[in-house]
Amino acid sequence: MDTPSKTITRHRIPLRPYLLLLPAFLCLAAFTYWPMLQVFLASLTDKKRAGDAGDFIGIGNYRTIFTEADFLGALANNALYAAGTVIPSVVFGFLFALALRETTNLSAILRSALFFPTLVPLVGAAAIFIFVFMPDIGLLDYYLAKLGLSATNWLGDPDLALISLMALTTWKNAGYYMLFFLAGLQGVPQDAEEAAKIEGANWLQRVYFVIVPMLGPTFAFVVVIALISAVSQVDHVIVMTEGGPNNATNLLLYYIYQQAHEFYDLGKATAATVVTLILLLTLSFLSLRTMERKVHYET
Amino acid sequence: MFFRSAVGALCAGLIASSAVAAERIEFMFPAPVQGKLSREMQKLVKEFNSSQSDVEVVGVFTGSYDETKVKSQAAAEAGKPPAVVLMSANFATELAMNDLIVPMEQLAGDTDLGAMMEEFWPAVRPNAHFAGKVYSIPFQNSTPILYYNKEHFAEAGISKAPETWAEWVDAAKKLTKADGERWGIMMPSNYDYNGWLVQALTMANGGQFYNNVYPGEIFYDHASTQGALKFWRDFAHQHKAMPTGVTNSKQVSTAFFSGKASMIVLSTGALTFVRENAKFDYDVAFMPRNIRNSVPIGGASLVSFKGTTNTQKKAAWSFISWLTSAEKIGHWSRFTGYFAPRKTAYDLPEMKKFVSEHPDALRAVEQLAYAGPWIATYNTVAVRKAVEDEMQALLSDPELTFREAAARAQENADKVLAPYAEQTALSLQ
Amino acid sequence: MKPERSGYLSLGALLAAIMCAVVFLWSTPFLWMIVASFRPDGFGGLGMASLFPDFVPTLKSYHYAVEDGDWPLWFMNSAILVTGTLAVQLVTISLAGYAFARIRFPGKDALFYLFLLQLMLAPPVLIVPNLTTLVHLGLYDTLLGVMAPYWGSAFGTFLMRQTFRTIPKDFEEAAIIDGASWWQVLRHVLLPLSIPGLTAFSIVSVVYHWNEFLWPLMVINDPDKMVLTVGLVSFAQGAEGASDWGLIAAGTLFIMAPLFIAFTAFQRQFVNSFMSSGVK
Repeated sequence: MDTPSKTITRHRIPLRPYLLLLPAFLCLAAFTYWPMLQVFLASLTDKKRAGDAGDFIGIGNYRTIFTEADFLGALANNALYAAGTVIPSVVFGFLFALALRETTNLSAILRSALFFPTLVPLVGAAAIFIFVFMPDIGLLDYYLAKLGLSATNWLGDPDLALISLMALTTWKNAGYYMLFFLAGLQGVPQDAEEAAKIEGANWLQRVYFVIVPMLGPTFAFVVVIALISAVSQVDHVIVMTEGGPNNATNLLLYYIYQQAHEFYDLGKATAATVVTLILLLTLSFLSLRTMERKVHYET
Repeated sequence: MFFRSAVGALCAGLIASSAVAAERIEFMFPAPVQGKLSREMQKLVKEFNSSQSDVEVVGVFTGSYDETKVKSQAAAEAGKPPAVVLMSANFATELAMNDLIVPMEQLAGDTDLGAMMEEFWPAVRPNAHFAGKVYSIPFQNSTPILYYNKEHFAEAGISKAPETWAEWVDAAKKLTKADGERWGIMMPSNYDYNGWLVQALTMANGGQFYNNVYPGEIFYDHASTQGALKFWRDFAHQHKAMPTGVTNSKQVSTAFFSGKASMIVLSTGALTFVRENAKFDYDVAFMPRNIRNSVPIGGASLVSFKGTTNTQKKAAWSFISWLTSAEKIGHWSRFTGYFAPRKTAYDLPEMKKFVSEHPDALRAVEQLAYAGPWIATYNTVAVRKAVEDEMQALLSDPELTFREAAARAQENADKVLAPYAEQTALSLQ
Repeated sequence: MKPERSGYLSLGALLAAIMCAVVFLWSTPFLWMIVASFRPDGFGGLGMASLFPDFVPTLKSYHYAVEDGDWPLWFMNSAILVTGTLAVQLVTISLAGYAFARIRFPGKDALFYLFLLQLMLAPPVLIVPNLTTLVHLGLYDTLLGVMAPYWGSAFGTFLMRQTFRTIPKDFEEAAIIDGASWWQVLRHVLLPLSIPGLTAFSIVSVVYHWNEFLWPLMVINDPDKMVLTVGLVSFAQGAEGASDWGLIAAGTLFIMAPLFIAFTAFQRQFVNSFMSSGVK
């Protein structure tokens, strides 16, 4: 993160970078930092609703949620869900991009088809996937039955519901991540690959030793985006399972949603938000650091 | 920059609304059952607006029942309280406890609310009241009801709909075909529906689900609720007449339409939808009883948020009284399948004609004689979820006993209710 | 297309075959939606999951969709929403991305993570504070109010930072030696080379705002300002257990149609922009 070119920046007025950031910053200040401050302050009170005055109780809410089975369950579910969506969707996205790297008429069509799931509005997709996952009658079971497999209650079985949601998320996002890898791959110089080929590297070695390191920034970006989406997307939970069966798909954001809007406990909702935010920020920081460290931006 | 100003100008045009002399109020409503209902609701709003010139109602579609609650509450807390909201009937209690909605006496002016409520079915009245005051006016209501496939019944040699739990189990077993080819009975066990049906079974089992006078008490670890949990669970694990795990209401209705389920329990609010789409001979029947016939009501009522001006309140009342008139409430009932909570709607000629043509609509009304209020406590959703989690676990896990489940549901619900109990019933020094 | 050696050709054919199979599997939910939207009994039926039409196709679902929805209005509102959001975003993210990618200044890393905060926000608890801000700004119940919170896009800033960083510095240095100002460098050197990044961001932004549901639902009351997703839900959602799958499929396809068409068109441009950008 510290590779500015000295020739460009040395004689500039230091005010300019701040002015460049100002337009974006103003919007963020009004709709991110200001409400975040309110969230943080609310997390130190026992407010029931936004309209409440609430008493200051310090870290009371934090102590409560960390002893509460529902919150800890949501934390564990979300960890599983993040692992089960980030890894497959990034790997699929990367493999798709590698396979469809050359632009031909066929690959153009295949790329579009893989990207289409991203275009489906989540409210529609979630409704459609209630049908896809329907036991016996649904799309999945209908065709699995032809392979001799018996009916499965994908969303209604506590052991399978979270996995089903992971499948939906992977389906929806892999094509989206593929686009970033396609863009990144265009930046990988042909001669580096040619050189590796001449030195006798096979395909797998070339991918691992030449392409992957060069795509460091892309991987960093996609992993961070995927991680964030695993924590900040909740529409499908609302439409498909509402956190059930028996909390098996209760994710952090759904826990927060319920505490804030259904259970009248703004204190707990905001404390959980702050915890989630700190976790995400730490994870993003670590992924950016590790993946960008070994990368060379200058050619 | 030119782009930005062009867009800005375009949007500024959209902000500016035409100046109107009439008092403008917002009416938020969710989409019950099916989409064409939200179009019909907008038509009603238009009809009201053109019927007079003092009030202009803006009909605001607000998604599901839950989203309606989130949106109206968020708007109120942001300083734009909606004057009229069609809200899930059992939320009025907690909204009133949280001081978010106003009692109807603040809107009604000279109207005698007591006399007005006398025109509504007794079953819908408790949910409209809190602490002795009317906080909501019922508009569309339902009860759970048994839908069954008459062709399957004939095939299995069953001549009439089950009336008791014993007959129900018997029929379910007879109707079931092996290997999941056909299920005798399906009931939605997703959140919200789940708690409603556990309450229905508890009431049919002779019990009282919650204390409908004191909102800080719930009866989960009691024989009648335990029996309800066991009865539902046994359909899946013991009689194998129902799929295991959780099935949501959409899956249940789809299974019924496709002949995969012979009997289903759904809201009477889905009646018109079933009537229009079932390709086979179906009928509806009372929820079977164990000790007594009894069901909770469901559906939605009109509430008004705190913070509106007096003129808005007056305008809100003129809309509410128009919309809940026997004529309009009856029209809505015929269009949707919900029953009309206002008894007098059934005295009107078009209603008499309708129920004589559609006897299944009458069944829902007859069942009303045995109906009771819907669970409404301090923090209703959290209290309800305590038993729903356990019911879902029972349906998924054959090892779990109903006693353990009921005990845990009670423990978790009591934790939710504790703050209210401590500040009211337990507040003696 | 480049001529290829024969060994690669058969390998390429195998790869193509595998990818076609994968893409087919990936597309089944879609294909089903298309089939279901023409099915006469959209609410249930044993063969409902079949991907092969075993019925006489009917336009009934589309007929209902058109009849029940105020589509031209919803389309226009959604179009205004995504255009207004994107136009402002492109300006703010280019400026901020440039600052983060190319200028060294005190507090840069801290500011960068401060920007990233927005990405990680859990929206549910922000609904009330942000609505309150909109009420104070007079933007409640306006399309501008739906757009405003997104004008400072952390995602876009992040993406532009990554994009600018992949552009070799030699180009700018040459321009600087020729006496170009920072603005000219950004405008004439960096931005043209970043078209892939800008295109990618535009696609993401448009898709996101076109499909967003909860926030527009919260901000907009006036039926004349209703957007597509809320419209879709208003006629396809059922609360009491009824679900007309054919109608949901038809409505969802309806909403997606412009994106389908735009993406298919953009996809070529997206790829072409790499070819012409000279970034290798």
